Amino acid sequence: MHILATEGLTKRFPTVTAVDQLSVTVGPGVTGLVGANGAGKSTLIKILLGLLPPSGGTARVLDLDVTAQGAEIRRLVGYMPEHECLPPDVSATEFVVHLAQMSGLPRTAARERAADVLRHVGLAEERYRAVGGYSTGMKQRVKLAQALVHDPKLIFLDEPTNGLDPRGRDEMLTLIRRIGTEFGISVLVTSHLLGELERICDHVIVIDAGRLLRSSAIGEFTQATQTVTVEVEDGLEPLAARLTETGLTVSPQGRMLVVKVAGPETFDAIRDAAVDLDLCLIRLEQGRHRIEDVFREEAAGV
Amino acid sequence: MSEIYDIGYRHYDGPRLGRGHSTRALAVHSLRGIFGLGRTARSKIMPFSLFVIMLLPAVVSIAMMALAQQRGLPYSGFAVIMQAVVAVFLASQAPTVVAPDLRYRVLPLYLSRPVSIAEYVGAKVAAMTVALFLLVAVPLVLIYVGELVVDMPGPPATGEFLGSLLMALVLALLLSSFGLALASFTPRRGLGVASVILVYLLASASVPVIYETLRSAGDESAAAWAWLANPFWLVDSVQSWLFGTPPHSIEGAYPNGPASAAILVVLLGIAVLALALRYRKAASR
Repeated sequence: MHILATEGLTKRFPTVTAVDQLSVTVGPGVTGLVGANGAGKSTLIKILLGLLPPSGGTARVLDLDVTAQGAEIRRLVGYMPEHECLPPDVSATEFVVHLAQMSGLPRTAARERAADVLRHVGLAEERYRAVGGYSTGMKQRVKLAQALVHDPKLIFLDEPTNGLDPRGRDEMLTLIRRIGTEFGISVLVTSHLLGELERICDHVIVIDAGRLLRSSAIGEFTQATQTVTVEVEDGLEPLAARLTETGLTVSPQGRMLVVKVAGPETFDAIRDAAVDLDLCLIRLEQGRHRIEDVFREEAAGV
Repeated sequence: MSEIYDIGYRHYDGPRLGRGHSTRALAVHSLRGIFGLGRTARSKIMPFSLFVIMLLPAVVSIAMMALAQQRGLPYSGFAVIMQAVVAVFLASQAPTVVAPDLRYRVLPLYLSRPVSIAEYVGAKVAAMTVALFLLVAVPLVLIYVGELVVDMPGPPATGEFLGSLLMALVLALLLSSFGLALASFTPRRGLGVASVILVYLLASASVPVIYETLRSAGDESAAAWAWLANPFWLVDSVQSWLFGTPPHSIEGAYPNGPASAAILVVLLGIAVLALALRYRKAASR
């Protein structure tokens, strides 16, 4: 069953085409939507929420039509916007309870759900304080809580890791993964960092300038783009030469080498080469594919 | 160890109520916001002190009835006499209803839920209307109860009282739709307060100017229309037409009749249109 499906979806604004002939289907689980800033991610989410009428094509969310059944979709879907959206003078509890009621929950149920959800996102006693004094990480948690409070079938998370420090980022990603697995709520999460989404997604959709670049399961993604970054103290050139000799694809990047991984034997080859040349190995790191890599590949492939 | 109990995620399978429930919840939430309930103590000072000021004339009125067997304020003239306080209440509290949602961009969270933008605006106008109605109606009811308890000679002025309650509702609707429309054009609270009070002052100040200009031109009957530039006198003139109460203008009578009711309806239409245009733009962002 498809959680959402678009067919030739197009949205034209007077000056730009934000979404261009997009046909894509999304199944249950965690799906990443990747694209550079201005690629049309936020516009797509607004269309899927039934807030922006498409200029052409169709889109269905939870088997409901976005143009005709927007209100029904919004009853079953949660949305965490990219921008700040919290009034500073109310407490997290009061705000989340209020928004639960706005989603149709009766007052007592809204209170219970808000307490539950705030606990799940990791807000303890501070939830009774005014939101104005919260850190960015806590605000992101409140934003996530309001999207979850009415127990939606599907949530749209627009750049949930924006502005977070590395630890906050990790916690947020773990939480998103839990939502998709433990909570059983399908997730569509946007980011401009592919490496981030790789850790939590089952499926990744890449869009650029409103067009679909790629839509595939995460396994295919990592297989296609797996690399390892090697850093040694001195003797980068001899190592590069030695690895190329053994038939590996090597490209120097500043003080490091990026080696394409052909299989587990690649790691052995790098280790052996470093030992043979008597080099001081500083770092051996699994490559983080940036969005640009995918774009480069796709451009080369087309 | 750190997690003492983790019962895991529980799904919600209780009732999901319709948009009427959501709209009502938003109106109640906004009404609480107007009176600063559930907010800091500081945000309660303004609304409650104005409320107390509105009650003072009622207390004086009851005292006069009890001690001097004399009517103080007429019901029909209460809103006009207390208009400055009502206007300050509108100016100080209307921005708290609309500005934060625009300034802190909370609006998208509402719009990603089943309520429509029309229901959102409707709930906001309803909340402000109820607040203003309470501000005017509570003292009126107090005076009326006082009148019944004191047992004034002659029959109680029930008709005038009920008429004034109805007109308080009309006044509240007119003021709240205008006040919210003005306040919604700026996301900054301070500017919202200033713009509402400025429009009220301009409307009031223009009355004598227009009046004198037209009177010196020798057009007494046209000059009388000048009173209607002030919303409180406009509503009073409609009241005077509907219930035959004496006009509560400063000097001279002013026109009453279907024309002033028509002006009122047109003004309401303009305010609602302004709100609709403003929020159509805000929603598309």
